[in-house]
Amino acid sequence: MTTPIEGAPAGLVVADEQAAAVHFLVDEELYPLPAIYGAAYVFIDRCYVFLDRPEPARVRVVLTVKAGAAAPEALRALIGEFANELLSCAFRHQIAQDNRVLIETATMQALAGAMGQPSLDDLAKFDFSDQGFDDPLGIAMSWEEKHGRKSPKSESEGAP
Amino acid sequence: MSDVHELRFSRQLYSGEAVDQAVKAFARFAAFDLEQTDDHWVVRMRPTNPDLARRLRGELGNHALGLTVQRGGAK
Repeated sequence: MTTPIEGAPAGLVVADEQAAAVHFLVDEELYPLPAIYGAAYVFIDRCYVFLDRPEPARVRVVLTVKAGAAAPEALRALIGEFANELLSCAFRHQIAQDNRVLIETATMQALAGAMGQPSLDDLAKFDFSDQGFDDPLGIAMSWEEKHGRKSPKSESEGAP
Repeated sequence: MSDVHELRFSRQLYSGEAVDQAVKAFARFAAFDLEQTDDHWVVRMRPTNPDLARRLRGELGNHALGLTVQRGGAK
């Protein structure tokens, strides 16, 4: 027999005291599947974790206490800790998604650096004629180069 | 003869190879019968020791889930 847990969202979390288990219905729009996997993996050593998909875009997480019996307070604490872990995993997943390009770029640069210095053959084949970058607006120029006073020599060159 | 316990692993959440590997890992503790439906990997098990049925169900599920996560998901 399942009973709702006090303080938990109604209809999403129920406890089965006889089976020493809690059922948590997770919305995949709020918590992506990798985050659910991550949180479930953390709890594998503490309880039996089972995932099911009762309806599209929803995952039911069943946490069963390994000892076989648990007080209602223990079940409430268990689902609370799981919810916290789930939120943490979802946030870390979001950060990883946002910074994926940066992480890949840094990794590529680290790997390229680990390859060591180029050999003489590599340098001989390198095309040095290629410009580093275009700077039509003069952004890379220093203030003195762009706005500084012209040298007397260059001014006198224009005089008759 | 001990009871038959059925576990239904969603194919969208569990890797089939992970479930197979988990069943192999626990093969000496129970007799297993595998079947697949459109939505689930169905595992029926008959534990050699009925007292261990609950633990066996849980550990089998954990093992399949752990392997699925290590594989990066169901696909």
